Amino acid sequence: MTENNHGNKRMTLREAVSAYIKDGASITFGGFIGRDCVAAVHEIIRQGIKDLTVIDDSKTDIMDLLVGAGCVRRWEGAYLGYGAIGLANNVRRAVEQGIPATLEVEDWSNAGISMRFLAGGLNLPFMATRSMLGTDIIKYNERIKVVDDPYGGSQVALVPAARPEVAVIHVQRADVLGNAQVWGFTGNDENKARAARHTIITCEEIVPTEQIRRQGNMTLIPFYCVDAVVQVPYGCYPQSCYGFYSYDVMFCGDYHEMSKTREGFLKWLDEYVHGCRDHNEYCAKVGWERLQALSHLEKQFNRI
Amino acid sequence: MGTLEGVSLMKGSSELVKGKSYTASELMAITTAKEFKDWEVAFVGIGIPLVAGILAKRFHAPNLSIVYESGCIGPEKYRVDFNVGDSSAADEALCLTSEWHVFGDLQAGYYDIGVLGGAQIDRFGNLNTTAIYGEGDYKRPKVRLPGSGGGNDIGSSVGRVVIMMRLEKHRFVPRVDFLTTPGFLDGTPGARERAGLLGGGPVAVVTSKCVFRFHPETREMYLDTIYPGVEVDEIRQSVGWDLLVANELKVAEDPGEAELAALRAADPANLIMGGAAARQKLSGLDEFLELTLKYAGK
Repeated sequence: MTENNHGNKRMTLREAVSAYIKDGASITFGGFIGRDCVAAVHEIIRQGIKDLTVIDDSKTDIMDLLVGAGCVRRWEGAYLGYGAIGLANNVRRAVEQGIPATLEVEDWSNAGISMRFLAGGLNLPFMATRSMLGTDIIKYNERIKVVDDPYGGSQVALVPAARPEVAVIHVQRADVLGNAQVWGFTGNDENKARAARHTIITCEEIVPTEQIRRQGNMTLIPFYCVDAVVQVPYGCYPQSCYGFYSYDVMFCGDYHEMSKTREGFLKWLDEYVHGCRDHNEYCAKVGWERLQALSHLEKQFNRI
Repeated sequence: MGTLEGVSLMKGSSELVKGKSYTASELMAITTAKEFKDWEVAFVGIGIPLVAGILAKRFHAPNLSIVYESGCIGPEKYRVDFNVGDSSAADEALCLTSEWHVFGDLQAGYYDIGVLGGAQIDRFGNLNTTAIYGEGDYKRPKVRLPGSGGGNDIGSSVGRVVIMMRLEKHRFVPRVDFLTTPGFLDGTPGARERAGLLGGGPVAVVTSKCVFRFHPETREMYLDTIYPGVEVDEIRQSVGWDLLVANELKVAEDPGEAELAALRAADPANLIMGGAAARQKLSGLDEFLELTLKYAGK
């Protein structure tokens, strides 16, 4: 829900993060372990933002980075691993040993948390689901209420609306007004943008509004949900972005090895986040040829 | 983190089965593939379950549709995915939609079969993918696992569930530390229905040494099939309760050469089936890209 619907919302990533993401904020990220907001997360870490509550479905790299960098106090979500590569090392250290700080965890299932975003987006107090019933997720999560169907059916679980202060969502293309178009899967992005008080769109390409109008049914998030539009090519790397570049399994494997120790992780963080002024420098460090090779691969399979 | 990491995410390992030319992961994938039927809609996760689905499509179930929770329905798989939201999960999909719609379709009963893994399982097929307590508890566990993801949702609502787990005593436990995904709950008649669950629950547990199934009335897991060269006692010793064995115990056949070849072609860089060791064998990203394009026929 933007307070500025008058024209151009284009900003730099530094400006957008500093304007909308404050210490102690609740936040959600678009994508679904793919089309993740890697560039925005690096900027959050560079700006030293603290005590975030992350409300989300499933995240790998970006949550492991945020937790390891000490930006997150609380996680409400369904999955924190590292995909087919392994467990999330920083998340493990935070939950098991309180390093660098204890991560408070509230467990949900993916369908359960999806219903929370739907409720938030519809401006309803809660939504019902048939997931999580009979399990320890409900035992340890007091905000899930099991009730009898008031219309006479079997029992259901109620989940409260999620209303994060900020949503950050990376898309393939947007115009400067914030009309955001997505190709490939869409995750919970449409509901996250609607549920959040402020939405930052990062994108591969900024296009003229006329181009948006030619394929209006690709617009997942309309301008009135959006506060800021930031162009960040390769903004998901090493995660994938449908039609633009594929996943870099080797880079992620190396990160996973490095992050097995706290020292290794801090070294990685120094090199790839603190050691880069912005996402452009990060891309240069990774190597433009490497990025182009992943774009080449992706375009053999998916083109926009 | 050792052994727990492997199967909780259903990652592979390069270790050969004793005296055989295939790995336990390959055997599990080939056995699981047989559980899919043609024209079914299957909710599978990344890792070995995906490879099992790809294999089924290449043999007996060419019209199998794979669904990913990110919102991808019916992709054609010419390359493997490492995350459910990889761009590859959308390759030539029939429908690309939202996560909440896919879970809605799951809850509405459109999906026939799901494949799940876990770090712990009990005799009623309840799964733990949340935390191993050790000396600790839920809030400060010995090992924090990824959590439910979509596992709970699949176990709650899909038509039938196939579980893949390596057979180890610390995984097959009398009681899971944290019940993440419902099997038959406490095993009493109608336990799932009373809880409000719509899906059919687990039908098979495919392990590195055998296949378990569930008794239609008591809902208890029993030994149904053993792999060649495996002894029943070996299995009994790897399970943390008094195991029931089928009156007519079946012995599986060794996987055929064609199946093994198809399996290896589906994951040409061996990164799913071979795990971290396989990654270290690759010279770098270029070799991975080359293999991916070659096996996709691009």
